[in-house]
Amino acid sequence: MGIEQIPIHVDNGSDGLSGNASAILREVADMLDRLARTGETGAIDLAALPLTPADKAWLSERLGKGEVEISMELNGASRIHETAYPGIWWITHLNPMGAEIGEFIEVTPIPDMVPSQSDDIVRGSESLNFLINDLC
Amino acid sequence: MSDKNSGLIASLAHQGISRRTFMKYCATLASMMALPPSAGRAMAEAMAAARRPSVIWLPFQECTGCTESITRSHSPSLEGLIFDAISLDYQETLMAAAGHQAEEALEKAIEENKGKFVLIIDGSVATGLDGAYSCIAGRTNLELLKRVAPHAGAIVAMGSCAAFGGIPKANPNPTAAVAVTDIIKDKPVVNIPGCPPIPVVMTGVLAHYLTFGSLPELDKLGRPKAFYGETIHDRCYRRPFYDQGKFAKTFDDEGARKGWCLFELGCKGPVTYNACATVKWNGGTSWPVESGHGCLGCSEPDFWDGGGFYRALSMPADPLKMAATAAVVGTAAGVAATFANRAKKGAAKSAHETVTLADLEK
Ligand code: SF4
Ligand code: SF4
Repeated sequence: MGIEQIPIHVDNGSDGLSGNASAILREVADMLDRLARTGETGAIDLAALPLTPADKAWLSERLGKGEVEISMELNGASRIHETAYPGIWWITHLNPMGAEIGEFIEVTPIPDMVPSQSDDIVRGSESLNFLINDLC
Repeated sequence: MSDKNSGLIASLAHQGISRRTFMKYCATLASMMALPPSAGRAMAEAMAAARRPSVIWLPFQECTGCTESITRSHSPSLEGLIFDAISLDYQETLMAAAGHQAEEALEKAIEENKGKFVLIIDGSVATGLDGAYSCIAGRTNLELLKRVAPHAGAIVAMGSCAAFGGIPKANPNPTAAVAVTDIIKDKPVVNIPGCPPIPVVMTGVLAHYLTFGSLPELDKLGRPKAFYGETIHDRCYRRPFYDQGKFAKTFDDEGARKGWCLFELGCKGPVTYNACATVKWNGGTSWPVESGHGCLGCSEPDFWDGGGFYRALSMPADPLKMAATAAVVGTAAGVAATFANRAKKGAAKSAHETVTLADLEK
C-alpha cells in the first residue's frame, strides 16, 4: 500500500496555507529586483522551508508558467520552467525511482545547470571525433 | 584505485556521470544537509576540482554490512560512484592486493598522504586480551588504529559498531568491544551510526570536508546534525496517527492495514535520531516504518540491549534511557511539529537534546 492510499487528512485550518508562501513570494520579488538592478542572482531551496502542499500550489499558481520549459535526464528526471516572470525559474529534481529529491526557485537569466558544461563539451568533442575516425 | 592525480570529476566522467548530473547531486545533497543553495554550487565546484581524496578504510569487528550499504545501495547510485571515485588506498574487503602487498599499500598511503587522508573505520575495537580477539596481518585492531589515526586528516566511524560499539559490544560483550572514540581522544571523530548507516551521510561528510576543509557540525554524540538533528518520529509520515492515538496492535490487524502508528509494536522512532524518514532507503524506495515495521533504534548507542524490539517504549528499557519518553498520546499538532522541527534543523545550531514528553507535545 502506498502512502497516498492511507486515508488520512490533516487539517491545517481552512485553506491549508501557512502564510509562508506569501513570504517567499516577497523574497523572490526582492531577488528579481536585485537581479534587474545589479545582475546578482539568487536561489531558494523550497525543501528547507516549512511549506504545506497548499502553500506550494499557491506559490506555483501565482508565479505561473512562462515561455521556457526544459526537461533533463540527470540520473533521474529534472524539470525546469521559467515562470511568467522572466528571470524566475522553478526547478524540480527527481531521483531514478521518480521520487522528488529537490525543489528550488532560482532567480537568474539562466539556471547554472542549463548550459552545456565545459568539461562535458570537451568529452563530447572527443567522442564525436572517435565516431568520425571510426567511419573512415 | 587508478590514477590518483586525476580529479574526482574526471573519474566520475569515466563512469558516465556528466557535470550536470553532478551539479544536481550536489544541489540535493546541500539541501539535505540544510545548507543554502549556494553551498550546493560550491560543493560541485570544490569536489569537481578536488584531487581524489585518499581514503584508508579499516574494517574491525564488523559484518561488512556498512560496506554493502555504500557499495550496493542501488545501482548505479551516485554514492556508490563517488565511493568508486575516491582513491581507496586500503580496504581489505574490496582491494585486490593481499598479504604483504596489502600491508605495504597501507604504509605507503599513510606516508604519501600524511595529515590529509580520510580514515574510515567500520566495526568496533576489541580490547579484551589486549585486543587479540580481532587481528589483521598479525596486528590487533587496537594497534592498527593507534598506528593510523594520528596521521589522518579526518576520522569517520562508520556504522553503529565503530561509533558506539554496536552489536559486538552488546551484553555480555565477550571481546570487551569499544567505540573508536573510546580509543581516539585527541581528535574529532565523525560518528555515522546506523546498522547499516545511510550511504548519503557518508558522501555528505566527504563533500563537506572537500568543500570547506572542515567537518560538518556534530551533535554531542559526534553525529552530523544535518542528518541526525531530528528523530525518526519527528519526520515520520505516520505521526498524525500517533497524535490521534491510532495504533496498530498487531502486525496484521485493521490498524496495521490502515498504516497506523507502530508505537505499541515497539517502534523506537521517538528516541532515535536518524534520517530514514526523509532520505529513505534503496534510492528513496521506502523505509522500515513505511514497510510496516517499527524503527529498531539502530543509530542510537546500545540499541541491541534496549529491552526488545517489539516492546513499546513506555516500558523501562534502561540502556537506551527510553523510559519516560513517549507513553502518552500527543495532541493533534503532528504536522505543525514536523514543520517546526524542519525549521529548527535549518537553524541547527542549538545542541539537540533527548526527546522529552514536552517536546513530543509541542
Ligand atoms: S512511533 Fe514510530 S511509527 Fe509511530 S509516528 Fe513515531 S516513528 Fe512513526
Ligand atoms: S528506521 Fe530506525 S532501525 Fe531502521 S534503519 Fe532507520 S534508524 Fe535504523
